[in-house]
Amino acid sequence: MRQSRTELRPGEAALAIERLVVPFGAGPGLTDVSLTVGKGERVAVVGPSGVGKTTLLRAIAGLAPITAGRVRVGGRDVTALKPEERDAVYLHQSPVLFSHLTVAENVAFPLRVRGRRGRDVQQRVHEALGAVRLESFGPRAVRTLSGGQRHRVALARSIAARPAALLLDEPLSALDPSLRDEVRSAIVAAQNEYEPGALLVTHDLDDAGLLADRIAVLLDGGIAQVAPPAELFARPQSLAVARFLGIFQEMEGCAGEDGEVACALGILAAGQRVPQGPVAVVFRPDAIRIGPVRPGAPAARVVAVRQRVRSTSLVLHVGENANSARVEATVLPGGAVAAVGAEVGVVIDPDGVLMFPT
Amino acid sequence: MTARALQRRSTVPGLATRAALAAILVVVTLAPVGMLLLWSVSGGWLFPSLLPGQLTSEAWHAIGAGALTSAIYTSAALAIATAVIACALALPIGRALARLRGWRRHVGAAAAFLPVASPPLALGTGLQVMALAAGVGGTAIGVLFAHIVPAVGYLALFFLGTFTLFDTRAEAEARTLGATAAQTWWRVTLPLLRRPIVEAMAVGFLISWTQFALTLVVGGGAVRTLPLEVFALVRAGEDRASAVGALLLLVPALAALAGLRWATRRTALAPA
Repeated sequence: MRQSRTELRPGEAALAIERLVVPFGAGPGLTDVSLTVGKGERVAVVGPSGVGKTTLLRAIAGLAPITAGRVRVGGRDVTALKPEERDAVYLHQSPVLFSHLTVAENVAFPLRVRGRRGRDVQQRVHEALGAVRLESFGPRAVRTLSGGQRHRVALARSIAARPAALLLDEPLSALDPSLRDEVRSAIVAAQNEYEPGALLVTHDLDDAGLLADRIAVLLDGGIAQVAPPAELFARPQSLAVARFLGIFQEMEGCAGEDGEVACALGILAAGQRVPQGPVAVVFRPDAIRIGPVRPGAPAARVVAVRQRVRSTSLVLHVGENANSARVEATVLPGGAVAAVGAEVGVVIDPDGVLMFPT
Repeated sequence: MTARALQRRSTVPGLATRAALAAILVVVTLAPVGMLLLWSVSGGWLFPSLLPGQLTSEAWHAIGAGALTSAIYTSAALAIATAVIACALALPIGRALARLRGWRRHVGAAAAFLPVASPPLALGTGLQVMALAAGVGGTAIGVLFAHIVPAVGYLALFFLGTFTLFDTRAEAEARTLGATAAQTWWRVTLPLLRRPIVEAMAVGFLISWTQFALTLVVGGGAVRTLPLEVFALVRAGEDRASAVGALLLLVPALAALAGLRWATRRTALAPA
C-alpha cells in the first residue's frame, strides 16, 4: 500500500471539498463536509446507512444540488459547473453500461462526446481496456459480459475520460466475494494508469481498509475523522466514531483528579487527557487477555465461550456488584481457553484502551 | 393428496372450457374478418346460400380508380403526421409526469387521460369550436390537430409508464463522462428508448387511422379519410366496395400486431 498522504499542498489535491452543505431527505442532510483527496490517492467514505454517503458523491459530481460550500477538482472550482464540465466521473454501485453500444464503443463514449475521432480514440480505448485486462473484449455486446466484467468495462470507460477525480459509489457491495478481488484489483489497476484521485463510498469497513489510503468517517452530517485505516481502527478520535466502527467494547468509568479512571476492570491509567467525571472506557476485544488469578489484579468469571470460524473469545464477568460488567476477551491462537464458571485473572493492554468523556 | 384432487385444485381450465373459450374468440375476432373477405370477392350472395354464388375480384381492382385511393393517401398522411407530432409532444410530457410525485402526478395523469376517455363526439364538438376560431375548421390541418389531441393524451400516459420504469442512471453517468445534456439525449436516452418510441408511433398512427367522429365533426365532411369513405359506401349499400375498404382499414392494425410480435420474439420477451 502506498504511503498515506494526510498533508497536501493546495495544488496537489485531485479533489477538495470545502464546507459542503447538501440537503437531502427529511433531516438536516450534510451540514459541513470538508475532505481532500490527493492525486493517485484513494479515500474511502464510510458511515451508517442513510447518513448521505451517496448524496455526497452525487453532489460532488454535480448530480445533486448543494446549498453551500465549494468543490474543487484538480485545483479548479467546479461548484457552479455542470456535471460534464467537472472532470469528475461518477460510477454507480452496479455498473451502468450503454446497452446499445459495444464494449469498445462504451469505453470510447467519453472521447466521442468530446469530439475525438480516429486512431487516437482506438489507442486510448485499447489502453483503458488493457488496464482492466479486457483487451480482446472490444467488439463484444454488453449483454454478453459477466458481472465482474461489466464493472471492469465501466472502470475502463471512466479512465478513458481521464478525469482528475473518480467517484465510486459502493463499487464492491453488489458483488459475490469471489468477484470482489477481481474488481478491487481493477480499481487499483485503472487508477495506476494516470493517478486520478479516487473517492469511494462503502459501508464495508473491510473493503475500506483493503482499498483506501485513508478512511473518512461520515457521521451526523460531517466528517468525524479522517485517518489511514490502521490508525482509524486502533485509535478512533471520538466515542461516536468508536461506536460506529463496531469493533470496540464499551463500559462506564469515572475519571479522578489524578488522571486515573475507575471502572469494572479496576483502576486504569488514562492514556490521554480526560476531564474529571464520567467517561466511556472503550477497548477492542484483543486488548483484554486472560491469565492466572493474581492478587491486586482484576479477576473475572468466565460466563460463556464463543467459538467462531477464525477466533475464539470468552465472555467475562468482571468487577463486583454495582461496579460490574461483561466484557469479551479474544483468545489468541494456541492460547488457553478457560471453562465456563472458571475464575481467571484479567490482563489489560493499556495501549488498547481509549477513554472518552460522556 | 390424490392426483384427482390435485387436478381439481389446478387453475388450468378443463378441455371443454378451453374449447368453448377458443370458439368465442374465433366468433368475435376472426369471423367478422372472414365475412369481410368473402363479401369483398362475392359476385352475388343471396339468402339462404351459405357462400357467395360467384367470386369476383372486381372490387379489389376498383380500388385504384375510386375515391378510396385518395382517402387512403389522406388517412396515411394524417396518421403519419399524428404519429410523429404526438410522439414528439407526448415524450417530454410523459417524462415530466413521471418526475411528479403525489397528487400532482395524479392530476397530470388525469389531464392526459381526459381526451382519451372523452366520447369522440363530445371532444370533437369542443375541438371544432377551437378549429373554427383558429380558421382551420373543415381543413386537413384542423383534422390533424383534432387527431393529435387524443393521441397526445394516450401517448403521454404510455410514456408516463415508460419513464416510471426508465433507469436514469445511464443518463447521469453519461453526463459525468462528459456528455452535454443534448449529447446525452441523442446518444443515450433516445437509443435506449428506441423500442417504446416505435411502439408509440404505431399506436399514434392507429389512433389517427381509425378516427371517425373527430374527422367528421372537425373536418365537416370535407376531409375524406378512409373511415369516412367506408362509411359512405356502407350507407350506399355498396357491399363489396365497403368490405374492401374495411379490410384496407384493418391492414395497419395487423401490420402493427405482426411487427410487435416479431420485435418481442427478437428480444425474447414474448412467451415461446
